[in-house]
Amino acid sequence: MRLWKSWIVATKDFSVFRKNKYVFYSLVAMPLLLGVVLPAALLLSLPAAQVNLANAAFLVNLSTMYFVVMAAVLPTVIASYSFVGEKIEKSLEPLLATPTTDGELLLGKSLAALVPCVGATYVGAAIFVTLVDAWSYANLGIFLLPNMDWSLIMGLVVPLACILSVESNVIISSRVNDVRAAQQLGSFVVLPLILVLILAPTIEFTSISTLALIISGMLSVADIALFYLSKATFKREEILTKWK
Amino acid sequence: MIDTENLTRKFGGLTAVEDLTLHVDEGEVFGFLGPNAAGKTTTVRMLCCLIAKTSGKAWVGGLEVEREEDCLKIRKMVGLLPENVGLYDSLSAYRNLDFYGRLYEVPSEKRRENIESLLRLMGLWERRDDAVGTFSKGTKQKIAIARALIHDPKVLFLDEPTANLDPEAAKTVRDFILELKKQKRTIFLNTHNLDEADRLCDRIGILKTKLLTVGAPRSLETDVHGRKTVVHLERVSDLVLASVRKLGVVKNVRVSENRLILDVNSPERDNPDVVRAIVSAGGSVQYVTELRSTLEDVYLKLIREAEAK
Repeated sequence: MRLWKSWIVATKDFSVFRKNKYVFYSLVAMPLLLGVVLPAALLLSLPAAQVNLANAAFLVNLSTMYFVVMAAVLPTVIASYSFVGEKIEKSLEPLLATPTTDGELLLGKSLAALVPCVGATYVGAAIFVTLVDAWSYANLGIFLLPNMDWSLIMGLVVPLACILSVESNVIISSRVNDVRAAQQLGSFVVLPLILVLILAPTIEFTSISTLALIISGMLSVADIALFYLSKATFKREEILTKWK
Repeated sequence: MIDTENLTRKFGGLTAVEDLTLHVDEGEVFGFLGPNAAGKTTTVRMLCCLIAKTSGKAWVGGLEVEREEDCLKIRKMVGLLPENVGLYDSLSAYRNLDFYGRLYEVPSEKRRENIESLLRLMGLWERRDDAVGTFSKGTKQKIAIARALIHDPKVLFLDEPTANLDPEAAKTVRDFILELKKQKRTIFLNTHNLDEADRLCDRIGILKTKLLTVGAPRSLETDVHGRKTVVHLERVSDLVLASVRKLGVVKNVRVSENRLILDVNSPERDNPDVVRAIVSAGGSVQYVTELRSTLEDVYLKLIREAEAK
């Protein structure tokens, strides 16, 4: 496996995404929405009487899970363009005719979806941390973030959720011919994951860190299973003769 | 440069290519003629290591189309222009070519040189930064050919390079292929345009799942229908007809108005005897010509025969 070949494929896709307004604005709008609007909605609207460390920490931890949701949802937009976009432009055949292996192409296309999605999530998270800390320092005299829970969620759960979503899209893309259909099916597939992520912080648990580790373990298993499935789907011959 | 031996590809119960055996020399322009669904694209895809063969063997540049390691080398050695150009519309002409140059492992300096020379050759250097989506179909086709040439491939596979192009764009593309022919590149041209095959190819193979025939356009025209001599007379009398029929070199005689149409093996050798026999029988010869069958005649005859089977 030559990683530099995969990177060439990924950087080409980045260039294509930059020219695609829908993809570009999705990558800008979602981080801004979560990074700015979420802390404003959750913290600034907290009644003065309820401003305390416990309430603030609960809200922040709850909010952090929304970034995992973002990491799972964004690839349904990006990956559908990465794979189905090639089908629409009928550019898969010349691409497959180059001296690259199936694995290098699959990794390249996956990185093309993964890197901007994880990057956008982290940018949104960075804005979120800045605003939350500005608020918490002003109101509680401490910096709430980053903490261990937040670090585990961002460092483990976010990329694993993103990988799951990208791999699902590889499989979905092999069966559909339309970007919107790929996005809708992609959203449908990640829906159970989103429900788990949204409900998880509300469940009584020993700690958010333990919860993050359990979710990470589940995602890892799902990622490995889907990796083999997407690898089986992404074969030259299958793509040229069976991808509809 | 390209060899196949009983190459076969089946898709479930459907046989796309059956027992294809052919040889293409280095520097040759080989035309693959056949109707839609004859197996032309499947053959090219097998030779470019894009799909696997069901049975038989194939070699490109001495490397066998089978093993993944060899397939990587074959893909590096060949350039492919698929039926659909498949360019990235939102990227510039330069960026499209640069992307493929990098995938074909062309060093950066050489890549810049190749892109510039190819775009200049096609008169597109000034538009190198324009998005490909703004180009006409013919121009896109030229860029796709440039993409196939970006790594200086030894073998070029062109799959229907002028299909869906207007006559002017098609001519531009054909002129460019002629330019490549002058450079002595090995070109494997899939087409169902008979005139194009006749003008561009050194040899032609006619495919309808099976290879029906292969040869130079001129020899196909004579091999399939034989060579015919047409003798224009003042009048075709029974005596003239009988004298010609007696000649051993004449295999078949047909009368059409005041013309005799004769099947002969070698007009250069046999025509003088024919003329002498006609004159001896009192015939008055006005002039003698050769009736050539066209590639279209050959193609239609073979395809109809194949369909009848």
